[in-house]
Amino acid sequence: MNWLKKKIAQHRRERNRRGLKDSAYQFVFNETLEGDYVCFDCETTGLNPARDRIVSLSAVRISGDRILTSQGINFLIEQADAISEESIKVHQIRNQDLQQQQAQLLSEEEAISRFLHFIRGATLVGYYLEFDVAMVNSVIKPWLGVELPNPRIEVSELYYELRAKEHLYGVYQPAVDLSFEEILKHLQLPNFGQHNAFNDALMTALIFVKLRKLQQTSL
Amino acid sequence: MAIEQHYQFLQNVTPFDRLPESQLMAIAQTFDVLYYPKGEYVELSEPCLLLVIKGVIQEAQDGKVMAKYANGAYFNETSLLRSETNQASVTQYKVLEEAILYRVPQAVFLETLQSFAEFKAHFYSNIVDKLNAWHQQRQRVAATEVMMEAVCSAPIQPLVVVNADASVSEAARQMVQNKTDCCLIELGEAHESLDERWAILTSTDILRFTARQFEEDSVPSALEFRARDLANKPLQTVHELDYLFNALLKMTRFQIDRLVVRREKNNGEIAYSGFLHLKDLMGVFANQSALVLLKIEQANSVEDLAELSNQLDDLVATLHLKGIKVHYIAKLVNELHRKIIQRLISLLLPEGLHSKVAVLLLGSEGRSEQLLRTDQDNALLFVDDINADEKRQLWDFSAAFTQAMLQLGFPPCPGGVMLNQPTWRQAQTGFKAQLRDWLDKPSMETFMHLAIFADAQIVFGEEALLDVQRKFMAQRLTDTPLFLRHFAKVALQFETPVSFFGGFITRQSEKGAVIDIKKGAIFPIVHGIRVLALENGIKECNTHWRIKALMDLGVFETAQGIELGETLNYFNGLRLDAMLRQKDNAAPGQAGDSELNNDVALDDLTHLQQDILKQALQVVNQFKSFLQQHFKLRELL
Repeated sequence: MNWLKKKIAQHRRERNRRGLKDSAYQFVFNETLEGDYVCFDCETTGLNPARDRIVSLSAVRISGDRILTSQGINFLIEQADAISEESIKVHQIRNQDLQQQQAQLLSEEEAISRFLHFIRGATLVGYYLEFDVAMVNSVIKPWLGVELPNPRIEVSELYYELRAKEHLYGVYQPAVDLSFEEILKHLQLPNFGQHNAFNDALMTALIFVKLRKLQQTSL
Repeated sequence: MAIEQHYQFLQNVTPFDRLPESQLMAIAQTFDVLYYPKGEYVELSEPCLLLVIKGVIQEAQDGKVMAKYANGAYFNETSLLRSETNQASVTQYKVLEEAILYRVPQAVFLETLQSFAEFKAHFYSNIVDKLNAWHQQRQRVAATEVMMEAVCSAPIQPLVVVNADASVSEAARQMVQNKTDCCLIELGEAHESLDERWAILTSTDILRFTARQFEEDSVPSALEFRARDLANKPLQTVHELDYLFNALLKMTRFQIDRLVVRREKNNGEIAYSGFLHLKDLMGVFANQSALVLLKIEQANSVEDLAELSNQLDDLVATLHLKGIKVHYIAKLVNELHRKIIQRLISLLLPEGLHSKVAVLLLGSEGRSEQLLRTDQDNALLFVDDINADEKRQLWDFSAAFTQAMLQLGFPPCPGGVMLNQPTWRQAQTGFKAQLRDWLDKPSMETFMHLAIFADAQIVFGEEALLDVQRKFMAQRLTDTPLFLRHFAKVALQFETPVSFFGGFITRQSEKGAVIDIKKGAIFPIVHGIRVLALENGIKECNTHWRIKALMDLGVFETAQGIELGETLNYFNGLRLDAMLRQKDNAAPGQAGDSELNNDVALDDLTHLQQDILKQALQVVNQFKSFLQQHFKLRELL
């Protein structure tokens, strides 16, 4: 089965690559490097990738036990429309905050372009990564004609596997609370407090590092 | 914004909190996060400073645990600051509790160090302290640890026992055969105590005997002379599990070179197992305290003694640094102080008067609780029948003694409790009359005098002179039970510096918020225990021994007594810390000792120390309410 999965993945990657409009971004399809992980998270104006936009984006690289926060990226992105009240309540980035940091704001294309360089050859790690990837894809698909080809690791999935192993009942599917807070609590990791893209990326990275350690020891 | 929490973390870590915001931000930018599961070692591929976000890290040097770091602590700064890497020692950081760390690159740390003087000062003073402590520890660890080891860890000479009728030659032969220089002689009389039944014969006795034979013809030969007639009694013994330094104290006190080591047999009976010899003890000690003892004996002038008493302060600092309980340090140092004072008196007092006087140490010296020379409290009692000439000699002595004590670094007593004052230099009858006067007319002043006298210990001269006064005082106390209740109330006169809500009650001084640890914490315990000891007729003067005696009498629960003793140790430790700090800060050449006060600055205490202090002050409050109930002080007013 594994070879089939691999084959399909390769095929998709290939089809994806044929769509690339700008040859300067050929590097996006560079070979994946062993042991190179990037954790990323974005805050958005809403939960619909088709309509909503990225407000801030953070990513940190993980090297073994070390989370390289010093070399991470943190972008704030300019917005064409005012950010809605509901989403401000979630990420606490106000329209005013964007105005105040005008100088540091990046255009959407610039931010995503730098992001693509940053994650070159890396495996992406995230919590409900699908959504974040979809948000990025919604930018690059119309622009570059491709979707993010990087392999992905979903930490909630890793966590579920770990918890599921605690039950040795074969087909029994345990109910595991996969909320971010619950995972942090169960793994006894510190909650750095306020949700923002950087914090979430950092904490997701910690979850990933710890889960991987636990996997190693349980093997 | 993204590194907000890094920044906030740093803000709460001393000395980073002293840096300007921009620098903190710059440092926070360079943070990486490290994760280690429990039991792993922190491996550093390149030098860096580490801060603990969560978890516990244990530092070990050459396998010896040096420190533990928990949330909010930083570590590994030593290796960044030390210019040459110390190849000889291996530092290891073990993860005791799953840890998340921040990592700051060496370059960033060193650059910050260069740019901000205050920040640098913190690390350097800290590092110098740490390194000093580490070096001193390495130098002295052997000596001081030996002190706290048990007697049985020292070389013990074999026990040689000869029978009661053995001749001197027979005893000598057995000693030589066993390669030792003393033996026990069983007298065979069924005396009540074990120590009474035995006598000790040493090579010195045989030496003296031989010399006597040479001088006097009437002395019989060694073959005929019975060994028991040369032997010494009573035996001085030490338990094999007692501290070595207690053995040293015993030898010092009785001026002997050998102690008999005793141990319990399986059936609980006490048996002798060998001899502990001073020269063997010196061999294992080989440190200052032992040397000081020898030097005291050799001192021939006040100047010699003054030099020695200055060395004692260093000894106190070293022992304290080593973490030895203040109570033990006090015991050792006071014994040495006494030796110095005894030597001083023998230098100053005409021989003819030795049997007619008693020199007393009062107050904290009497209780063996004075660590640094904070003041001199002493008194002189003499017999009633004394002629005018002798009286004049005594007056001369008292003046010279007080002067010499100043020279030895004992500051004058502000309350004038010194033997050159008429009140504290009296004949037997005169002093008795004065005691009665004090007991009959209670006032704050007489309370103070009585408190000081209640701790009197003889340092030189006739024990009987003090015993008479003690008995007199005890009798008067039994006759007037109300007196003790009023006396006990004095323990409550100062407020405990902790508020109802558990916060400190402080006073502002140039050192910031301070607490007078003596008034607020030490005095109530010491005085309360003193009154209880008087009430129960306990002869001991040291507060710890009094507590022990009170526990034995059932006045306290054992747990309560131990808690009180440890609490007192903690306060005295803080007080000693503060005083050593004051001494260090005193300008050279200045008479630093007289400046010492009892203020403990809260800024000098770590969070942990402050927490313990609060709890300890609660113990003081509990003890005060115990006193209130015990002496029914509420009804007194």
